[in-house]
Amino acid sequence: MSVSNLLENWAQVRHEHPINDKPHDPYKWAMAIDLDACTGCNACSVACYAENNLPVVGREKFQHGQQMHWMRVERYWDEDGREFPDQGFQFLPMMMCQQCEAAPCETVCPVAATNHTADGLNSQIYNRCIGSRYCSANCPFKVRYFNWYDYPTTDNVWPAEMTQQLNPDVSVRGKGVMEKCTFCVQRLSAAKVVAKGEGRIVREGEVQTACQQACPTGAISFGNLVNPESRVHKQWEAQQVVLDKDKQEKDEKEERAVLRGYRILEELRAYPSVMYLERVRESAV
Amino acid sequence: MSKRHLLALYSNFDEAEAVVKELRTATINGFDVKDDMVIKSPIEHPEVEEFLGDKPVYVQWFTLIGALLGGLFGFFLISGAQANFYMQLKGGKPIVPFPPNFVLTYEMFILGGVFITILGFLICAGLPAKRSALYSSKVSVDNIAILVKAEEGAISVLKAIFTKHKALEIQEEAGK
Amino acid sequence: MKDIREDIAWAKINQDVLKSLEAPRKLYWVILFFALLAFGFGLGCEVYQYQTGMGVANLNNPQVWGLYIATFIFWIGMSHSGTLLSAILHLMHADWRKPIYRFAEAMTTFSLMTAGLFVMVHIGRLWMFYYALPYPNDRGIWPNFQSPLLWDAMAIFTYLSSSVLFLFVGMIPDLAIVRDNMHAGWRKKLYTLLALGWEGTDRQWRNFRVTYLTIACFLIPLAVSVHSIVASDFAMSQQPGWHVTSFPPYFVAGALYSGCAAIITLFIMLRYVFKFEEYMTLPILKKIVRLTFAIAMIWTYLNAVEFASVWYSHDAVSKDVLIQKMTGNYAPFWWGMIFCGSVVPLVFAFKRFQTNIPVLFATSLLLNLGMWLERWMIVAPTFSHGYYPWTWDHDQWPSMVQWGMVFGSFGWFTLLFLIFCKVFPSVSMYEVKEMVYHRTLHLKKSEAAEEGAH
Repeated sequence: MSVSNLLENWAQVRHEHPINDKPHDPYKWAMAIDLDACTGCNACSVACYAENNLPVVGREKFQHGQQMHWMRVERYWDEDGREFPDQGFQFLPMMMCQQCEAAPCETVCPVAATNHTADGLNSQIYNRCIGSRYCSANCPFKVRYFNWYDYPTTDNVWPAEMTQQLNPDVSVRGKGVMEKCTFCVQRLSAAKVVAKGEGRIVREGEVQTACQQACPTGAISFGNLVNPESRVHKQWEAQQVVLDKDKQEKDEKEERAVLRGYRILEELRAYPSVMYLERVRESAV
Repeated sequence: MSKRHLLALYSNFDEAEAVVKELRTATINGFDVKDDMVIKSPIEHPEVEEFLGDKPVYVQWFTLIGALLGGLFGFFLISGAQANFYMQLKGGKPIVPFPPNFVLTYEMFILGGVFITILGFLICAGLPAKRSALYSSKVSVDNIAILVKAEEGAISVLKAIFTKHKALEIQEEAGK
Repeated sequence: MKDIREDIAWAKINQDVLKSLEAPRKLYWVILFFALLAFGFGLGCEVYQYQTGMGVANLNNPQVWGLYIATFIFWIGMSHSGTLLSAILHLMHADWRKPIYRFAEAMTTFSLMTAGLFVMVHIGRLWMFYYALPYPNDRGIWPNFQSPLLWDAMAIFTYLSSSVLFLFVGMIPDLAIVRDNMHAGWRKKLYTLLALGWEGTDRQWRNFRVTYLTIACFLIPLAVSVHSIVASDFAMSQQPGWHVTSFPPYFVAGALYSGCAAIITLFIMLRYVFKFEEYMTLPILKKIVRLTFAIAMIWTYLNAVEFASVWYSHDAVSKDVLIQKMTGNYAPFWWGMIFCGSVVPLVFAFKRFQTNIPVLFATSLLLNLGMWLERWMIVAPTFSHGYYPWTWDHDQWPSMVQWGMVFGSFGWFTLLFLIFCKVFPSVSMYEVKEMVYHRTLHLKKSEAAEEGAH
């Protein structure tokens, strides 16, 4: 009976996350992206398309803003009047779902199709989604992508010769559901199963996301934030970025060129799991 | 002994009121003014209650119970369902958060109140009803009708009272 | 200017209203035909969208809601004045509500039904809509009760069912009248069934009064909560331009506003089409017009409050959205909303326009245009200019499919409303009689008092 369940677990059902709460254990997947190392080559985005069976919508739908790139490489031109504005591009994040600890998208979904998982991911259940798109409306980063058409049956999304390259570990989404970056949850699950069989937790370096794997400059690091051995943990600590804070207290004495870590739109208190390392620019040095 | 029905029509409320007052004061054998008389009117006359004597309305108790049950049911259904749903955490909120649950409890409070009030209305007013023995469609225009039920012996007395007050029309149920 | 005559024969009231069930003017059939066409067109658009995918509506990543949600709010809003007119004025014993509340309540019911359609056509997997219903199932999976959309669903369900019941209960005595007068046939059977054997006995009337009053008392807070919850869809979110504390009262005021304007439109239409000149009188119209004017000014004030609080808030992102509304691509529509919503109602301040039917008809349509624009200007600019600059999209324009469904919804509403008015008495006969009766009593009393004074 659910009411007795409610009363028995009262403390548990009333506890809040992530503020004043213990971190996820034993896993909290997180990422750090060094924008200074990024060359803007788009390899991460391409790898994501291949790994996650993303539909290639084509020119016309792209022009309507209906593209499905879970990971997008953004460029901003400088508007200081220089002759070639693209010389002054400033900011080049690989933008994908930030896997927020307190995700704005989760609370608003009417059917509970998007939830916070035990290892700190923001999950999306395609089968449960009815396509109200409220999650996208409430996402400050706008990193959720909706299946505006039934891509598996649309011509030229996956031409016949390419159906063999679809990843069998990832479902192909039909029309009318929302999707987004999952931190390659299929890889994480597989690694966790292997580790569990051997009675341990997933080791650092044992699992990589597709984008991380494809990045030629190693700008992306991914791992278990609660594991003190992990590169992500070390990077977050070195940059003095704390997961459950909406304003980071940084050491004033350190040079700006050293403390480059930040999270996007932190003040909205979504507590993203992705830290970016600012690009070192002329003006900052 | 079986009772027979009698229906008298009056053109206005004051005449009907006079008849009812006389019926209430007169003691007629085989006719009980409390149980055997029904006033039918095209519009609602709150004054009817004054001269018909105290007839309580119980609908508001249905309302109270319905609203309370609706609210309680709402809150526990929702909280119970949340606690049941694999304890699934949502962005920065407890699994059973109060503000949203109170919003829904409020809606269920009203829903329960309205539904049970309607149920109470149907029960208290005896609807849907079988049509009574005598009815005139003039009641739905502008006439006031007094429907009485009396034993054979009282019928003629009642009729006399009705005629005295200038009934427009008197309908009589056929004898059995 | 004629009001309802005190000496009107009650039989004539019956006769006049019953005529509306039989012989409306030809215009009725013309409107019905066009309503059917419009609805058919909207239905076609929905079938196409259902088959092909939501993409044909030309929605995209930042602009995920478009006209559907804007029009949804519009129809929800329109439903509120039926309740206001019926329930609040009932509690306040304002007897001028009596000849017009029935159609206002019908408007409430049907605009809610229309709003419900927009929730449906908006969701990506319509065939899975039942996932949003809290039904017990063996997997123990429930909807997310934290979502304002679910509050919406619950509030609309409560509101729709309560107002249908309110409409029905209030109509029982009239259904009995129709039953008594209808010639034999399927319609007589229908009314006999619906009248539940009502005969106007003292017991029925006694319980009826308490019930009607109770439901009226429930409906008022319910109506306020419904539109507050619709406002919560926006106010509970984090987006700039939506996350506004004053949204719930602002939405409620807007709802009453557009509803009153719609009542004026429908009042004028019914009065002509069903020849209700005797009951839907100009003094009543004048009262509604004044009420609308007051609400228009409240709405204008709340608008100003919202803009001022954004302007002085130092919330740069919200301020950007506001500037975007005023000067960007949406500026013509935004200023159109200000003009139609705040300037046009000033016409109502002039006495000679308060009973001028052509002017009122045109004005009320303009007011509703303004209120529709308001809803669009709440939804679209925030999507076009949110927190994340890379996803700004100022140029997205709704496709014909979206416009078609908005257009079709007006057809659907008109269709339902016109059918209702032809099948059920759209003027409450028993309450007009009550009104006439109490006025006569009042007259008599004052005459008697005058005589006593001499």
